[in-house]
Amino acid sequence: MVIDSQLMSFFTAGSLIVIGIFAALFLDNLIKKIIGLAFLADGVNLFIITMGYKAGGIVYIFMPNMTISNFAQNASYPLPFALVLTSIVIGASTLAVMLGLVIVLNKRHGSLSASKILGDKGE
Amino acid sequence: MNELIAVMVILPIASALFLNFLHEKDRTIKILAIVTAFVLPVLALIAPFGTHYFGGYVPLAQNMTIGQDLPALITNTQLFQFHPGIVYIFNSAQQLLIFVLCLIAFLAIFTSLNETKRPSGVYAFLMFMGTASISAILLSDDIFNLFVFFEIAALAQVGIIVASGIKNNYETALKYTLLGNIAGPLLLLGIALLLGLTGNVNITDIIYSLKHGLVNPYSPAILMALGLITFGWMYASGLPPFHTIKSAVYSKALPHGAALLQAFSVFSMVAIGIILLRMFSYIPFTKTAIIGISLLAMVLGITMAIVQTDFKRMLGFLAVGELGYIGIGLGLGTAFGITAGLFQAVNEAIITAFLFIGFGTVLYKTRTADTRKLGGMMFVNPRLALLVLLAGFAMAGVPPLNAFQSKLMLIQASLQSGLPELGIIMILLSIVTFMTFMKAFYTIYMRPKPADLKILDNKIPRSTIISMVVFLIICVILGLFPQLATNSLQTLAAGLV
Repeated sequence: MVIDSQLMSFFTAGSLIVIGIFAALFLDNLIKKIIGLAFLADGVNLFIITMGYKAGGIVYIFMPNMTISNFAQNASYPLPFALVLTSIVIGASTLAVMLGLVIVLNKRHGSLSASKILGDKGE
Repeated sequence: MNELIAVMVILPIASALFLNFLHEKDRTIKILAIVTAFVLPVLALIAPFGTHYFGGYVPLAQNMTIGQDLPALITNTQLFQFHPGIVYIFNSAQQLLIFVLCLIAFLAIFTSLNETKRPSGVYAFLMFMGTASISAILLSDDIFNLFVFFEIAALAQVGIIVASGIKNNYETALKYTLLGNIAGPLLLLGIALLLGLTGNVNITDIIYSLKHGLVNPYSPAILMALGLITFGWMYASGLPPFHTIKSAVYSKALPHGAALLQAFSVFSMVAIGIILLRMFSYIPFTKTAIIGISLLAMVLGITMAIVQTDFKRMLGFLAVGELGYIGIGLGLGTAFGITAGLFQAVNEAIITAFLFIGFGTVLYKTRTADTRKLGGMMFVNPRLALLVLLAGFAMAGVPPLNAFQSKLMLIQASLQSGLPELGIIMILLSIVTFMTFMKAFYTIYMRPKPADLKILDNKIPRSTIISMVVFLIICVILGLFPQLATNSLQTLAAGLV
């Protein structure tokens, strides 16, 4: 049985999103929560990349030996890839900020437990 | 092409980056920050209306020299009409909103630089980055660009909380970031669904695709995109269920920081709310959902404000409650209702900033925000007390101040829309707002000073008083001449109906 690679990719993206939301909401360890959030962001990025996939398509770089018609018909859609690149940069920045905050809070509280550190102190 | 439109975003970012490197150069930081902050509202006033295409990428239909060489595969399709690059739109409504945002930023930066012993380049960096992000959100016609600045604004807000040095600020910052990292990717997922269906991230082009039947406007993916973008809107604005964390964010920032943070929330709410209406107003329950969420924000925000003993937290909840009025205006969906909602947004941003800076003077003199420990502040500086009292009157909608006009318009709009019950709720909640404010005012200013309350000798900086007077003048002018604001907002409102 041949499994459609785009469908599998969508399924993986969906799984990452669901696992990420579950970890962020229900796990107590702050590092695990952050890993869950990274899963969520990666799942969304994979979803966008999968949308840009074109079976049998070519890379969206216009080479000298190509005609405009051939390029327009066969090139995969570049916009999702450009968006994901930006999204990865944003994800890395927010991840760094979250980990930085966790390092400070871990030093103060001697724990990585969200219920102990955050409790009602953050509100 | 209008280059000044892009400068409104580029200038604060460039200044922010430059200020970040000026560590320990206090005088340079002060001069550069104040000059840039002063230029920003001026820029909003002098920039001509129009559209800015980043990279000069106009739609092919508008650039026939490129279009004529392309194959029929492209020229015979809608691709010819679409925008290939990021587009910023600047009209009278954006002018007013960005002017008010930048004016609040200027006064907040002006106050912060004089209230702190040593001006911080990093703190100014965060304030400018936040201002640039919200300006971009207001200008952008590209929903992915909006997402990028949504994330930058969230990071700037976290930085402003961390920089405050207030107890438990790191905890609040982490909580806000964790929630932001759920809301952000879900917003992006909503954008991805729209991209997948329409092949576009330009809002005008997405609307074109929806209205011209290029995609099924009632497909489940569109409805899911609506839900996900609404979730991002609720996070950015601090609408329920994010009202608690948003009010905590305000209370963990310094007063001038909180003044700016609440402006970020108000204008994010307006910008994303307008996008929701532009794209999804044809779906019957969109407006109902906006009204429902806004009602919840009003009721929860204002009722939770009553029980607070920290005046910054009380103001935070009142600010969330006032957001509900804006949402009701947008949700009514009539041109008059939307104009009233946008006018309320302008007023609320000004009044809440006024209140944060005004009550901030109490914190400056006593180092406490706990109303149980405060009292007798009226006799320390009666003029400041009067200014704060007037700010509270403005928030409650007492005539002839500005929020009276916008709240009156909102009540009229709800009556015109056949929803008088909304008008009644708004009146009742305005009374509760007034009572909440008066209770806090009496406790802090009018009751006898507690014996153990220490009032510091430090003099309130003149910049703080000037900022409060400027806010009061704007409140009076907009109260007496509301058409100065509403005339600018009507065109946008009419276009959304």
